[in-house]
Amino acid sequence: MSGKKVIQTTCKSCHGGCGVLVTVENGLITYIEGNPKSPMRGTMCAKGLASIQHINHPGRLVYPMKRVGNRGEGRWQRISWNEALDAVANKIKGYIEKYGANSVAIGQGTGRGYNRYTVRLLNSIGTGHALGPAYICFFPWLLTSKLTVGNKLFCDYHGWGGEFPKTQISWGRQLEINNADGEMAVWFLDSLRHAKNLILVDPRATAIANRANLWLQVRPGTDAALALGMLNVIINEGIYDKEFVSSWTHGFDKLVARIQEYPPEKVAEITWVPKEKIIRAARMFALDTPGCIQVGEPPVASSNSTQTLRAILCLIAVTGNIERPGGMVDWVPPDTGPMEDFGTEIRAPRENLKSAIGADTFRLPIGRCHPDTVLRQLREGNCIIKMLHQSGGNPLFSLPNSENVRKALLNLEFISVAEQFMSPFAELADVVLPVAHWLEEDAIWDEHARFMIGAVNKVVEPPGETWPIAKIFNEIGRRVAPQHWFDSVEEMLDYELKKANIKWTEFKELGFLARTGQEQRYYKYKTDYYGKEGGFPTPTRKVELYSTVLEKLGYDPLPYYAEPSESPYSTPELAKEYPLILNTGGRIPFYFHSQYTNLPWVRELQPYPRVQIHPDTAKKYGIAEGDWVWIESPRGRIKQKANLFAGMDPRIIVVQNSWFYPEKPGPEHGFMVSNANVLTSDEGPFDPACGSVNLRALLCKIYKVEGNDDA
Amino acid sequence: MRKAIFRDMGACVNCKACIIACKVKHMSYPYAGLSKLAKPKGRNLINVYQSGPEIRGDRVYQSFVSIACMHCEEAPCIRVCPMSAIYKHTQTGITLVDRGKCIGCKVCLWVCPYGAPSFDEAGKLVLCDLCIDRLNESKKAACEAACPAAAIFVGTPEEVAELQAKKAVQRIERGIIT
Repeated sequence: MSGKKVIQTTCKSCHGGCGVLVTVENGLITYIEGNPKSPMRGTMCAKGLASIQHINHPGRLVYPMKRVGNRGEGRWQRISWNEALDAVANKIKGYIEKYGANSVAIGQGTGRGYNRYTVRLLNSIGTGHALGPAYICFFPWLLTSKLTVGNKLFCDYHGWGGEFPKTQISWGRQLEINNADGEMAVWFLDSLRHAKNLILVDPRATAIANRANLWLQVRPGTDAALALGMLNVIINEGIYDKEFVSSWTHGFDKLVARIQEYPPEKVAEITWVPKEKIIRAARMFALDTPGCIQVGEPPVASSNSTQTLRAILCLIAVTGNIERPGGMVDWVPPDTGPMEDFGTEIRAPRENLKSAIGADTFRLPIGRCHPDTVLRQLREGNCIIKMLHQSGGNPLFSLPNSENVRKALLNLEFISVAEQFMSPFAELADVVLPVAHWLEEDAIWDEHARFMIGAVNKVVEPPGETWPIAKIFNEIGRRVAPQHWFDSVEEMLDYELKKANIKWTEFKELGFLARTGQEQRYYKYKTDYYGKEGGFPTPTRKVELYSTVLEKLGYDPLPYYAEPSESPYSTPELAKEYPLILNTGGRIPFYFHSQYTNLPWVRELQPYPRVQIHPDTAKKYGIAEGDWVWIESPRGRIKQKANLFAGMDPRIIVVQNSWFYPEKPGPEHGFMVSNANVLTSDEGPFDPACGSVNLRALLCKIYKVEGNDDA
Repeated sequence: MRKAIFRDMGACVNCKACIIACKVKHMSYPYAGLSKLAKPKGRNLINVYQSGPEIRGDRVYQSFVSIACMHCEEAPCIRVCPMSAIYKHTQTGITLVDRGKCIGCKVCLWVCPYGAPSFDEAGKLVLCDLCIDRLNESKKAACEAACPAAAIFVGTPEEVAELQAKKAVQRIERGIIT
């Protein structure tokens, strides 16, 4: 490459999706900025912009490598791609032959635009063992949304139907600093210009607290009670959408009976939110319509996620906010159809899905294994899974009880990891495959099948022998299930775009395909969109306030509240030793889970993890701003630096997640020092339906680290 | 045309995109090396500061603002600089630095009411130049372009005033007092 040119691409530094313009001179990137013509109108975050430090990082993995010492010893030998891929493929084929397809697990971390390849690889080899953090992430929302309305619901921040949300609820989400789960920070923030009411449901005063006209300072883990209390007010005051409820919902009378158990007085006691505020929030959301609710992780990373999310979905339904402009909508995808079809168009054998570990206990995510059960079996040495092939992700940070996770992983016979850096997890592998950055690959970006997909265009050559993740999937796929994979990545990309009648080479020029404005559709249940008979794609063709699917699976068809597994009320004896409520959900806008603490530009902004402690609590324990603090739970202890924060209840502390120290020596890189999941429990109780576990409302104690000035 | 910068303290979400956008624009990017990790080095041209949170009754007082050179009309730094190293761009009023003249005495820092001056490795003054070259190409300043919260606006003083008035009308219309 020579001369100066500007290349249009799509960022994947988080879940991704922002349009990017990159200036390249003589094969080197000289500038990076947002694309003003993209649906994100040229905005970009610190992570995406710092990508130019990422691609030039001296720690990048640039060759395939195999382990030569003991596992986790950190001794590696460079090998060829053929040797590496053959090693992975031969292990997959060997284990399948010896123990059946379910002896192979395929894993990934959070969604980074290649979910569909993971799913296709799973299905093409026929295993039911997808290993990842989905069950404590977005997956329960997709499941419960599907149960209730038959599809996925996203906030309509766009006004394409002529209305913007008038009342918005930010429910434990902080969408202002992330692009997760099908929404974008910039869309939400822009839509606030049109909103009358913003209700913040969060234990903390987040960055939008000053703009919210109502802040419900909910006790961690009690979200279901709050939603049910709001339903109680809305229904008993008769301010629900009567027309929508009578024509388009199923089981309203049963919901009416259930919510009588949650009068605002009782809910106030459970949630610590004053009764008056619960009533005000309920009235605001019911009367100032349309409205939408952005739902974050805390209601999901809970041992009652299914019913918490169901309660919130019922709240959206009875206020008539489903499929209404400015409410919550199931977006029609672009002409390509949902990209995830690429993963699901082939299916693993039914018996393998049914016999996936934990699938008989946690019956909602039909045919998905339960990670905590898998890891327990691995530790106990009685697990059918012999190997794991993982793309990105870092189970040592994303799954509960990191020490137990490590023990379990070490009991696998074989681990292969596709990664960009030698992460604490990659250090445990037998074979490591080096992956290209999004600035170095051609790919189709998509996440959660919303209204758009984006073209990721190669800007610079990948370093060394790194390969795009799509190519790694395809080359493994070709070796283990050639009938389902392709001669080249370009052929695969063409195949994925075929329904839109467009080739990859045309799409890459276009930049993105989006169904927006007049082309988007609302009130689809009033048409034949979901089938000739109309209505919603649920068994009753209505919004199921009373879930017939849950009933069939043997679960409570109506939402209820359950006290967190560990709390001052459910475990008062434990609370004597561990008196503070521990929330592990602290997020940092310029890091993404365990990524980017190795980039100097962003690391400078916050060099060490911070635990938020109320000034009164800090005083009680003799802790000052910036002190290193031990945070101890019944599982273990970690240290983070004190950040005195008055915007929350003094009985709560919030630690930041996924910290390790890339500058510290391997193989551990200090992953047990400050990692929030050292504190969390993998023992349950789990959500009965989808197996999620309580990570955001545990108990802990804190004390100052004496005489240690460093991490 | 005179340029003014508006930073919306009510809108900023403390994501710090402006800081990195500024680095992309104004700093060379050779990789700094692992040894420098976790050791904060010199200040950026633009920094985000927090006030609060303070809770009084039902109200939360918490705001964030990104601060860089404000390009004052009567810039005290220009008045006190003994080397006349700081000057105004004639058409836009943007405050610029003649690095060759700067002796790194830092008197500008004594008088700047915003604490905006930053100094490079040689100890010489570096200031936000409002991305004057981008403005000349009719592009937004790097920080303004990146900001997802529309909390930064560069325009003429008249445009800033109009933007503020529009926001006030919206607030009155919606009955929100912020």
